[in-house]
Amino acid sequence: MRCSLDWLHRASLGAVFLAVAGSAAAYTVTLTPASPEAVYLQVGNGTFAGNTNCMGSGSDCYSSGGTPVNNATVNSVSVTVATAAVGNGTAQAMTTNSTQADSFWDGYAYCTVPAQLYIGGFYRTTGAATAAAKVTATVPAALTNGTGGTIKFSQISWTSSGNGDTTANGFLPEIFPGGTFVSGGTQTVGSMASNTWNESCWNFSYLNTSVPGAGTYTGSVLYTMTSP
Amino acid sequence: MSTVQRSTFFLSLAFGIIWAAAAHAKSMTVDDSGSVTIEPTVLMRWKTAVPTRTAGGKLMVGTTTIRVRINVMPWLKHSGRIYLALPAQQPGPISLSWTTQGRFLPGQLVSGNRVLVYAGPITTPFMEDTLTFQFSVAGTLMQRAVPVTYHFEMDEE
Repeated sequence: MRCSLDWLHRASLGAVFLAVAGSAAAYTVTLTPASPEAVYLQVGNGTFAGNTNCMGSGSDCYSSGGTPVNNATVNSVSVTVATAAVGNGTAQAMTTNSTQADSFWDGYAYCTVPAQLYIGGFYRTTGAATAAAKVTATVPAALTNGTGGTIKFSQISWTSSGNGDTTANGFLPEIFPGGTFVSGGTQTVGSMASNTWNESCWNFSYLNTSVPGAGTYTGSVLYTMTSP
Repeated sequence: MSTVQRSTFFLSLAFGIIWAAAAHAKSMTVDDSGSVTIEPTVLMRWKTAVPTRTAGGKLMVGTTTIRVRINVMPWLKHSGRIYLALPAQQPGPISLSWTTQGRFLPGQLVSGNRVLVYAGPITTPFMEDTLTFQFSVAGTLMQRAVPVTYHFEMDEE
């Protein structure tokens, strides 16, 4: 009789467990990507909002929780060629009025100003890697002096580097490589893989192979970033 | 007569071993149908506004608060170990960390695993706590909204 009760008890226990298993639930939440896409391009001076003490440098940057914001500054790159040197074929180094030496990525003293112009940015998107975002330069045919004189934009070229960039750390080759402007047209000056901060420093040179009339020649190049 | 008694002994012993092994290995899913999610949709945002220059910086994170209410009546007056389990599932590796109000233990885990949230006597039919979950998923896996499932498991001691 005692034995029978024990079996009855075990049978009941089993029934309870089965009932529990039948009513047990797994909980489900839905993960939804919100505002997943963003692009940022900076040529010359830029602005980050947020923390103002990036790695102790006093700069704003991503590493301190900074967020990039719009900066409407149009920086210039220029050179004054001595009369005796005009057209002699010796490239003339240009300098910039940009003061952006530190990278907004980590506050590192990345470019050397005024010799170098900073260019950097990123392209944020969800999902698997996509085609890279392109950065293009829209270039006028020539610089002009306002009195009919011109200098072809192809007289300006640039090299690319960055303090601390090496093949070993994966930062070479430069994302924004060196090149020479086309004279009128749009040319690609770099491409950005998704979800990666990209940056380079450009040293511009005036090739000085023509003899234009004396004067101040200006022209503007528009840099555009296009995501897939 | 002696042979019969010995056989009974061995039979009992064998049953005892099987029973013990089954008791240690048994994990039961706990009924958590009384739980309420305050934000059923977890908005996943980039952990950092800006990516890094290397391969990192691609994490998306999202937070939600859940009032957990699990039915532990079947284990009342027993001791048990309760785990939070996050099965391996789409869209890929998911990291989950959570804080609690004290009834359960805080913790973190990666999908495909479980972590202890309670060990001790089961003294009430239901156990409740408010958990704040933070999910972390690589943005490269987050092309669209995805359901993520977790559950609580009981190992009875």
